[in-house]
Amino acid sequence: MSSKLATLAEAVASIPDGAHVALSGFAITRCNMAFARELIRQGKRDLTVSQCVGAMDADLLAGAGVISRIIYGGGSLDRFGRLNCVNRGIEEGTLVAEEYSSLSVAFRYLAGALGIPFIPIRSLRGSDILERLRKTAPGDIAFVDDPFSGEKWLVLKPLHPDVAVVQVQVADEEGNAWIFGPRWDNEEQVRASTRTIVITERLVSTEMIRRNPEWTRIPGFRVFHVVHLPFSAHPTSVYQAYDYDADCIKEYAQMTQTREGVQAYLDKYVYGVKDHWEYLERVGGLERLSKLTADPVLGY
Amino acid sequence: MQAEQGYTLFELMAVAGARELKDGEVVGVGIGLPVVASFLAKRTHAPKLTILFELGVVDPEPIHTGVGLADPRVWYRAKIMSSFVDILGTVLHRGVVDVGFLGGLEVDMYGNLNTTLLGDPNGAFRHFVGSGGANDIASSAKRTIIIIRHEARKLKQAVSFITSPGYIQGAGSREAAGLAGGPSRVITDKAIFDFEPESKRMRLLSIHLGTTLEEVLAEMSFEPIVPDRVPFTEPPTPEQVRLIREEIDPEGIYSGR
Repeated sequence: MSSKLATLAEAVASIPDGAHVALSGFAITRCNMAFARELIRQGKRDLTVSQCVGAMDADLLAGAGVISRIIYGGGSLDRFGRLNCVNRGIEEGTLVAEEYSSLSVAFRYLAGALGIPFIPIRSLRGSDILERLRKTAPGDIAFVDDPFSGEKWLVLKPLHPDVAVVQVQVADEEGNAWIFGPRWDNEEQVRASTRTIVITERLVSTEMIRRNPEWTRIPGFRVFHVVHLPFSAHPTSVYQAYDYDADCIKEYAQMTQTREGVQAYLDKYVYGVKDHWEYLERVGGLERLSKLTADPVLGY
Repeated sequence: MQAEQGYTLFELMAVAGARELKDGEVVGVGIGLPVVASFLAKRTHAPKLTILFELGVVDPEPIHTGVGLADPRVWYRAKIMSSFVDILGTVLHRGVVDVGFLGGLEVDMYGNLNTTLLGDPNGAFRHFVGSGGANDIASSAKRTIIIIRHEARKLKQAVSFITSPGYIQGAGSREAAGLAGGPSRVITDKAIFDFEPESKRMRLLSIHLGTTLEEVLAEMSFEPIVPDRVPFTEPPTPEQVRLIREEIDPEGIYSGR
């Protein structure tokens, strides 16, 4: 492969039905929204998604019936509301949820990234999260004796997602990527996964990357596809690039309260537009997006 | 509410939370009242406090209020921006967090918290936010402070789901599960509780001015331990109220003014 540069449609087409996809979103920031919308348009099915904190990208995919399993640490749309589609799926039994805590999922990615067979953790003990995992994920949790102290420890199985999809501010065409702001689970997700798709707001030369290599959070040699797509996290925020679109997230939180509302949302913002560019026009075009553009001092 | 006293119940609770934090401590916070309590402590008696957000933010100095941890407004002027593995792993799991703030849908008399679901876990239930970093904080912080509204449907005999363990079944059971620490305070809009050292049952510590013991007990689904003498909670000072209103939460987003 001469270049890793791909269109969003090409990158999405590379994901087979049934794949495990790690998503980079956290609640309402740096969510893989354009990617999720394209997964839905391409009619993908039976995906597993994982992320430390459930976010708007996973919720939209749950609402559209693209995912059948979620491995996560709980989540919300912050003050905008619950993850209506994920929660409804759990309540109605249509979505299998392997529900952990944030650190448990982060440690499972870390173990995957390090190539170690399991990872001990103090969390989950004495909780109903652990009791429920004994039913939903009996093969992923166990207890072992610490060979040094003899103490009993809960251990978790590593996560090895098929694909990590990471929304970043800056990348070159090799996939070397800078993530500004906190990075939550993204670095471990990439390193635990078999392959990585980088979706970047800005595409820069490798010469630019070489000028600040200490900013590189995602190693290009682990990346398969690079998609250059501005405003691809909209309506969620990208630190130093643009703010979240409060009106659009409120509309989503409102519409997803019912199944009918979810369908209407999908018709309006996913099926009703042919691609990301048409989506951006649908939400107000350049006039709207200019207003969301981040102040360089504030970062939002 | 309580306008004649010059402060709101939210401000009273935030000040009570701030008072629990000692200078030099490391505190893990979520959004809302814990943010106000921590920033207030840092601007008054605890300037060397270190404030952590689980997703990888250390010691921010926001000038705008945010809608949650995912809002870059609350990351502004942070000293460090890192990751879950850094904050929840190398700091919290390593044992360096002194205090964690927790909230929830329900809490029981042993300080077990539910943020996951209401109803029957094996039957019909409504699912909510889940753990996030709450279970991790409840498991590894040296102590936790629980903030919850004072209502009988929230202060329960038994919670629907233990998301974040407190003292589990009482005396000895937290240790048996392999956990140290545990909740040190429960701050509601009517009272403050601690946990009786032997039984680990919730014990009334103080009642907020303007409420009565009868009102406190009427809005609880279990009986806390009530000592012979229960003082009133120390009210906020005018300066603490001013800091909250003018500097920490000027838009009234956290306090809902």
